[in-house]
Amino acid sequence: MSSLANRGADAQTRRGAEISARGFSWQHAERTTPAVSDLDLNIQAGQKVLLVGPSGAGKSTLLHALAGLLEVDESQQMRGELLIDGADAFARQRPVGLMQQDPETQVVQSRVADDVAFGAENLAVDPEVIRERIPEVLDAVGLGMLSFDHRTQELSGGQKQRLALAGILAMQPGLMLLDEPTANVDPEGIGPLRDAVLNAAQLSGATVLVVEHRLEVWAQHMDRIIVLEPGGGVAHDLSPQQLMEDQQLRAELASAGLWVPGYLPQIQQVTLQPGGTLLEAKDLVCARAEQAPRTRPVTLQVRAGTATVIRGENGAGKSTLALTVGGLLAPVAGQLDASEQLANGLGSSPFSWKAGALIGRIGSVFQEPEHQFVAQTVREELAFAPLRAKAIGGRELKYEPEQVEQLVQSLLVRLGLEHLADANPFTLSGGEKRRLSVGTVLAASPDVLILDEPTFGQDANTWRELAQLLVAQLEQDTAIIAVTHDEHLASVLQAEQIHLAALPSGDVAKPKGPVLDAPVGDSWLAKINPLAKLGAVATATLPLISTLDAVSALVIVVASVVLFPLAGLSPLKFLKRAWPLLLAGLFAAWGIALVGQDSGAVYAQLGLFSITEGSLQGGIATGLRAFALAIPCILLLATTNPSDLGGALSQQLKVPHRFVLGALAGMRLLGLMIEEFTTLTLARRARGVGNFGTLAERIGAKLGQSLALLVQAIRRAGRLATTMEAKGFGTAKRTWIRTATFTRTDAAVLIAGIVLGAAAVGAALWAGTYNLVWS
Amino acid sequence: MNQVAAKQRTSWRVVDIVVASVIAVASGVIFWAWSAGMPLFSLAFVAFPPAAALLTGVWLFPAVLGALIIRKPGAAVFCELLAAIIEALLGSHYGLSVIVSGLVQGLGAELVFAIFRYRKWNLSVALIAGFFTGIFAGISEAYILAYYVEYTSSLKILHVLITGVSGLIIAGLLSWLATRGLAKTGALSALASRRAHLESGKLAAK
Repeated sequence: MSSLANRGADAQTRRGAEISARGFSWQHAERTTPAVSDLDLNIQAGQKVLLVGPSGAGKSTLLHALAGLLEVDESQQMRGELLIDGADAFARQRPVGLMQQDPETQVVQSRVADDVAFGAENLAVDPEVIRERIPEVLDAVGLGMLSFDHRTQELSGGQKQRLALAGILAMQPGLMLLDEPTANVDPEGIGPLRDAVLNAAQLSGATVLVVEHRLEVWAQHMDRIIVLEPGGGVAHDLSPQQLMEDQQLRAELASAGLWVPGYLPQIQQVTLQPGGTLLEAKDLVCARAEQAPRTRPVTLQVRAGTATVIRGENGAGKSTLALTVGGLLAPVAGQLDASEQLANGLGSSPFSWKAGALIGRIGSVFQEPEHQFVAQTVREELAFAPLRAKAIGGRELKYEPEQVEQLVQSLLVRLGLEHLADANPFTLSGGEKRRLSVGTVLAASPDVLILDEPTFGQDANTWRELAQLLVAQLEQDTAIIAVTHDEHLASVLQAEQIHLAALPSGDVAKPKGPVLDAPVGDSWLAKINPLAKLGAVATATLPLISTLDAVSALVIVVASVVLFPLAGLSPLKFLKRAWPLLLAGLFAAWGIALVGQDSGAVYAQLGLFSITEGSLQGGIATGLRAFALAIPCILLLATTNPSDLGGALSQQLKVPHRFVLGALAGMRLLGLMIEEFTTLTLARRARGVGNFGTLAERIGAKLGQSLALLVQAIRRAGRLATTMEAKGFGTAKRTWIRTATFTRTDAAVLIAGIVLGAAAVGAALWAGTYNLVWS
Repeated sequence: MNQVAAKQRTSWRVVDIVVASVIAVASGVIFWAWSAGMPLFSLAFVAFPPAAALLTGVWLFPAVLGALIIRKPGAAVFCELLAAIIEALLGSHYGLSVIVSGLVQGLGAELVFAIFRYRKWNLSVALIAGFFTGIFAGISEAYILAYYVEYTSSLKILHVLITGVSGLIIAGLLSWLATRGLAKTGALSALASRRAHLESGKLAAK
């Protein structure tokens, strides 16, 4: 990777790269068939190419090979050659930009300017030059309005992709590779993203290769469309014109699962017989949590054998509405009532039903199928609900084990998953996972089926299979509610549509839970070198570890409180931040008062333990010491951005930047993971797993949920690592647009910390309270 | 060729670094969620605080889990240290000393994997590593950072033993089970532990 060194500003990078493949084949380690085989291909400099083909045709592998990201080792899995401008692609002589489909992992850094600069910094481009490029490339992708310090976590999916594109542009690559860039982007974000890509191509003159199965978005704007054959080779090489006119070709591509422009998969029309009312909402208002924004009131009636589609802008709360109607969230206001037919002996509020009863009445299918997998094999996954289903009101099981087996078998056939019965659910393809997630919910035979964006990211074939499954379900008198932008699905389901209006502007969802990169403000301390502050806090507080006494601790606590104004902290702001720490300090004090060494008067006797004069004094000192350790840290945290601390650690203390930036990139995902954990709780309740049952069952459920979180986290980490490598991240020397400096003021802060630490210990010695804890 | 293989076994790739970081972050989230969802436990500890040591293992599992998944020298220390730094960044009543704890705890597990020359990742090594990270944690809390100066000396020893057991079960056993569970889902396909679920579950297996 070191060969990727400072070429960023080279004049020749302003033109596109030429690609040529000669009999190129690639086989992944531990696979039996090659992902790409015998590929012959020529793409001229500056061409815009749409690369399509059925899943398994090796499109992503080819892109990764061009980006130089495939690991070549001794096991000889490569044949032929793959050249960029006549040089081996694996040598990575010129920067190549790569964008993948998951927006969350296309962004690396927590501030907009840092993220744009990341790739160019890795190429060791002069920081001065990068700073000039940042506003230019942000403008080019339509994000010119963002401030440099804007938190990347607050951008929408489409904006994140455009930000990633800006970062790629700042590297001035001769080749840009886009791997299903719009697959995880909301419909309203697709157009701006596509336009940003086209604009970027025009400005940079780079060769562009886009992989997509939704041809409509791209086809008209490309120079060429290359169709890959499953198992290797080029099947067709066409112009956009031919794609619109050649009927035979269109039919062939459509049957391979591609979304050919103007073609819609056909489903046999059925006549639906609406049945009785199952659910009724009157002025229903929903919210994720107490403090979260609320949806506008909704009134709707759900009848057996009919479909309802919920539409509306991004952020209007469609998913929240679906979760509430699904009995997974409590209504905030208004009415949601199940009819007697649906409630079948239970109360009328679905939220009040136990998870076991809920899944047999209302089934919810989440947007991400993996969130709902709870078993080790496809078969167990389908048997999970029926094995736990209870007969009405009683304690006996609803199905005999043999009946469950039959039910599972018939579901496997209907879902087309027979051959995968013993596979781990997580290892299925996207379309298979989607069908399985619908199947697991159907297995409990609910009367109402709720789906959140069921057709998102599906190809035309998996779309048809899913739509057929849903239509069959309607015929069997199930009511379907779907949150979807997919108009064709709505028409196939003969759905009644309701439109959820957007929230008043400014009332958008804010991330909850802890954040690591909250804005630090512009107080005096915020401008001090992070290492100087860290050193000052360490030298002031760590000597306290050597002694347990109230005097030294009090010195530090008082000094920190006096310094609050320098950090821009008011007492109220401080309490908001610090109350859990203060509580923990009190808790520690109580613990010592209870079990500490007893001496002097006895104040209270609690069973085996007693609170005495001696143990109480110990408790007070312990609590004060906890405050003294914690409060100076608040000064540091309230005024320091972790990215700046990382930059200083790497630039000034020479901590390897790979580990510092790798750690920061992982930390950026904290908020996302917290959100995901909350979603997992709901998704698993929708499968009948949750916070109920015996203690062992609850712990088991929590462990399963933790494992599910780890699966998602590690997958994300893998994609994030790919993004970072594609942006030239590695061992080579890099530059930094934020240069850490160490001024006299910084030195003074550090010295103040040392003096304060010495003063605290000195005061304790002078007062005679110092007691060395190790003696 | 052996040299190449040796380098592959010991040097960190970008994916190893990022996965290790994310394991540390996810551990923070899991602990955050558990402590929010288990008020019963917290109550028990208010009544008798030393029992809280039983849950110390939750803080320690990044060390063993990170090493079992990444299988590179330094993984235990990196994951545990980073988890501690995240705790400090989120605000901890232990202040910066939590970073010292993280380092010491990570070293406990790292030492065990190093003794087995980073070649063995079986159940017994995981359990030993879990136990040692617990013992290291207990010793640093009771004797080095001296959070429990007021404990009687027998209570301090009890504290070290309880954290050892907690480390053995939560950090050792659960991490080993988690690694197998993760390998089954294919999530580890880019990592050295991708075949962990096919390795024998016997105590002495390779």
